[in-house]
Amino acid sequence: MKVMIVEDEMLLAMELETEVEMAGHVVTGTAMNRKQVGDLLRAHRPDFAFVDIHLQDGPTGIDIGRDLASKGIPYVFVSGNIKKVPADFAGALGAIEKPYTMNGMKNALAYISAILVGEEDVTPPASLVLAGDDVLTTVSAGTRSPALLCDAQHIQARRD
Amino acid sequence: MQENDQNRSEARDAGERLVARHVREDPFAAAFKATRMPMIVTDPNQADNPIIFCNTAFEKLTGYSSSEAVGRNCRFLQGPETNPTTVARIRAAISAGSDIAIDILNYKKDGEPFWNALFLSPVRDENDKIIYFFASQLDFTNVRSREADLAAARHRAEEEVAAHTEKLEAALEARSLLVHEVDHRVKNNLLTMASIVKLQTRITRDEGQKRALMSVLNRVEALSTVQRKLFPLEDVSRFDVADFTKELVTDLVEAVGRKDIRLTLDLHPLYVPAVKVTPLSLIVNELVGDAVRRGLSDGGGDIHVVVKRLNGHFLIRVEDTSIPVEVDAETAEIGRILLETSARQVDAKIEKRIDGHRTMVDVTLLVDSQESRH
Repeated sequence: MKVMIVEDEMLLAMELETEVEMAGHVVTGTAMNRKQVGDLLRAHRPDFAFVDIHLQDGPTGIDIGRDLASKGIPYVFVSGNIKKVPADFAGALGAIEKPYTMNGMKNALAYISAILVGEEDVTPPASLVLAGDDVLTTVSAGTRSPALLCDAQHIQARRD
Repeated sequence: MQENDQNRSEARDAGERLVARHVREDPFAAAFKATRMPMIVTDPNQADNPIIFCNTAFEKLTGYSSSEAVGRNCRFLQGPETNPTTVARIRAAISAGSDIAIDILNYKKDGEPFWNALFLSPVRDENDKIIYFFASQLDFTNVRSREADLAAARHRAEEEVAAHTEKLEAALEARSLLVHEVDHRVKNNLLTMASIVKLQTRITRDEGQKRALMSVLNRVEALSTVQRKLFPLEDVSRFDVADFTKELVTDLVEAVGRKDIRLTLDLHPLYVPAVKVTPLSLIVNELVGDAVRRGLSDGGGDIHVVVKRLNGHFLIRVEDTSIPVEVDAETAEIGRILLETSARQVDAKIEKRIDGHRTMVDVTLLVDSQESRH
């Protein structure tokens, strides 16, 4: 799939790009602020995006996420402060908390690419905090293990 | 002036007539004169309702002699700070011919104000006509000032508390911002460190070097997972080893990508203080990593991980069954050193049992019951 990376730490963006490519995907580009996201989107429509919340031009990741959701582009937040993710997840599939591990990112990426192509029998990894069920079912009727459901609730409680 | 004198002399006469009506032995009159309660009688049937009689206690309280008070309306006791609303209420009671009990600020002859608990009541004849007003005065300035002092003290205390609370809230806010900022930087730095190691791993061609770098990355990432599980603003001792273990193990086993690894978990919330977080997390990381390296990643198998309290001890158990493969000496060595050193730091005991293809490692340590119950 074609993946857009929205991240203002260039070293992190570069490594994430490598991991995405090693998993067999294509990176359409890396954006460090809202304007660059707009430019990138005009050039290539991605199938999926990773979106950091705090960017060069402030905490614009949330608005970028809402824009992507309105265009029907699935995405996940990648943030050091999961509490900043709004309660409705701004249309995101979920969130990956920084500092993620190589395995955590690899597993999340595998899960995301599986559900985006419509696979149903996939279990979400511990590294991916999923948004509410209703958000998920709009993309896929993916199954969720009870353990992961627990995790999502746990995170919900933390955010409160 | 003449008219005034005339009025006063009439008031005096009325007072004398009133007194004359009571023989010397009349106990009520005697009591009226002798009581310590200041009292007066006024005559509403004379112009301006003058005082026609006052007792000794009244003279003593106000400093006005009987001859000065008699013939004058009570309003001479009022002064600059007297509340006009109070005066209006007294006047209304008099016109209505009703009783009134009210607190009024009055002034003594020397100008000193006093708080007067005034009670005023009409006296009626057999035809129900008001012939006198009777009034008693009670000086409660001391009570009033004590109340005022108390109220002022309470007010000052409340103001101080409010000011302190505001300062504390500002300090807490600053602390909160600072903690979040530091937490954010630590997280970013951990991920940046991991990125640098990954970059070096990709660039280097030497397999041994690659292995060494991955070994470093594995431990840096264990610490990354710890940092994610710490709650910056809450009690930092609320780190749950079970929660950490679950994420670490599932991430690792999933990433190995073998369907033939059967993972079972027996995890119970176990909270530890911040000082023990790093060594305990490294212990879990080494035990699980070792099990994966010794065979799970090559030939699959079973792995069972336990984190629980057991008879006042804290138990971490990793049990695996797999076909053993040779682990290179350096990898085994660093794993062993990290495990033993971390165990020593938290005073934990390591017990390893090997039974055929099954390996079981128990790490036990005493936990303060205070720590684990949250």
